Amino acid sequence: MMLVKEEQDKKKGELSYLNGEIIRVEGLNAWYGKNHVLKDINISINSNCVTAIIGPSGCGKSTFIRCLNRLHELVPDARVEGKVLLDGVNIYDEGIDPTEIRRRIGMVFQKPNPFPNMSVKDNVLAGLKFSGMKDRKKLDEVLRSCLEKAFLWDEVKDKLDLSGASLSGGQQQRLCIARALAVEPEVLLMDEPCSALDPTATAKIEELIISLKREYTVVVVTHNMQQASRVADYTAFMYLGKIIEYDKTTKLFENPREELTERYITGKFG
Amino acid sequence: MARLLDIGLEKLNGMLTEMAGISRDAVGLAISAYSEGEKGERVKEMAARLRVLHNEVSELAMELLARYQPVASDLRFIKACMEISYGFFRFGRYAYDIIEVLDIFGDLSRCDHTIVLETAKRVQEMIDMSINAFVNRDILAARKIPEMDDFVDEKYRENLRAVLRGSEKGLKCHLSATLILRYLERIADHASYIAESVVYIVSGQIE
Repeated sequence: MMLVKEEQDKKKGELSYLNGEIIRVEGLNAWYGKNHVLKDINISINSNCVTAIIGPSGCGKSTFIRCLNRLHELVPDARVEGKVLLDGVNIYDEGIDPTEIRRRIGMVFQKPNPFPNMSVKDNVLAGLKFSGMKDRKKLDEVLRSCLEKAFLWDEVKDKLDLSGASLSGGQQQRLCIARALAVEPEVLLMDEPCSALDPTATAKIEELIISLKREYTVVVVTHNMQQASRVADYTAFMYLGKIIEYDKTTKLFENPREELTERYITGKFG
Repeated sequence: MARLLDIGLEKLNGMLTEMAGISRDAVGLAISAYSEGEKGERVKEMAARLRVLHNEVSELAMELLARYQPVASDLRFIKACMEISYGFFRFGRYAYDIIEVLDIFGDLSRCDHTIVLETAKRVQEMIDMSINAFVNRDILAARKIPEMDDFVDEKYRENLRAVLRGSEKGLKCHLSATLILRYLERIADHASYIAESVVYIVSGQIE
């Protein structure tokens, strides 16, 4: 038992300085009312890496990433304790503007949610326009750059004034990613971004995720373990509100340390 | 609840168990043929069967990988099965090669069989231990096998030194002994690889 503990401590130490961490989570607990959903989460997210969060339904994956950009607190009765350090600064400290945090740590949701009454162009530029940017040349540059980064430019360059809702599901999801990129985030959180998409659209999003890590840090929640093994550099397995194991993806999927992880990823759970 | 993958893994395990038995018998028969001057046609049939089974194991392993994308211990088992299957196939192939030597060289009854039979005894022990380690997933037994390989390597080198000194009587005797010792030495290596695969299945460690 002691050996396992020592091994875990050693592993934690190894992971803490990999590739330069951008987010460090310390003693994070979260509640919905009296329901204690996250229990003492400690993890370092490395910059310019893709980190996948896997685990059974209800284990706290989505809540966890919603705590990383203070979306969790928008839910009535929701409460958070502990620290989330973004570049060394606790995003829950007094005086920190949650809107600015959500700009720096963007979110893409399970279901594509373009603004239905806006054009493709306005969807991408909405954040910048809300923040007061009016320089048309700059806006056009951002539009093209973000749609290119989202692998969408070639498909929509002649449809920029059409409604965002007129695009296919996969295109809408990439539009949402382009929209998130427009405000120049450092981290992109993705909550099951492919669960509503067909295999072709999923493949495009996965390719996009891998491409994005050159400039951004990506944290993706997924139920699809093959997806985690395809796109993620690191994977965390969560169960009942705790992180059971966190390691390099290849290690976690080939030789997990924890019996619980082994049982979950091999489908022997429950 | 049994998983669909389990059906395939059990089949794979059964095929390897069959290969284990055939390959052990093939090497045993080849050694008997050398010491007793018997014909080795049965060994050739066994080697052919091992080749077929090895191909079937590879196909099944690929199918399981493609269909179920296994991970963790399932993935390690399938990966190791491909390695172990190759080991059993090579046991058969080297048994076949020993019979080929006997066919080419003819009567070896006047040769001194001591060093070959001493080596063969140890190699057969290694085969038995590697098979038992696989069947029982016994990493303690598996870890002992590579140590036994040193004895076989030393016998092979000892024979080569004797040949170079010219102490062996007759070209036929020392050439046949050298070739057979070489095949035994390779079998011992594959027994060690099988043992390493067993350790990998159980612990995930590559030694």
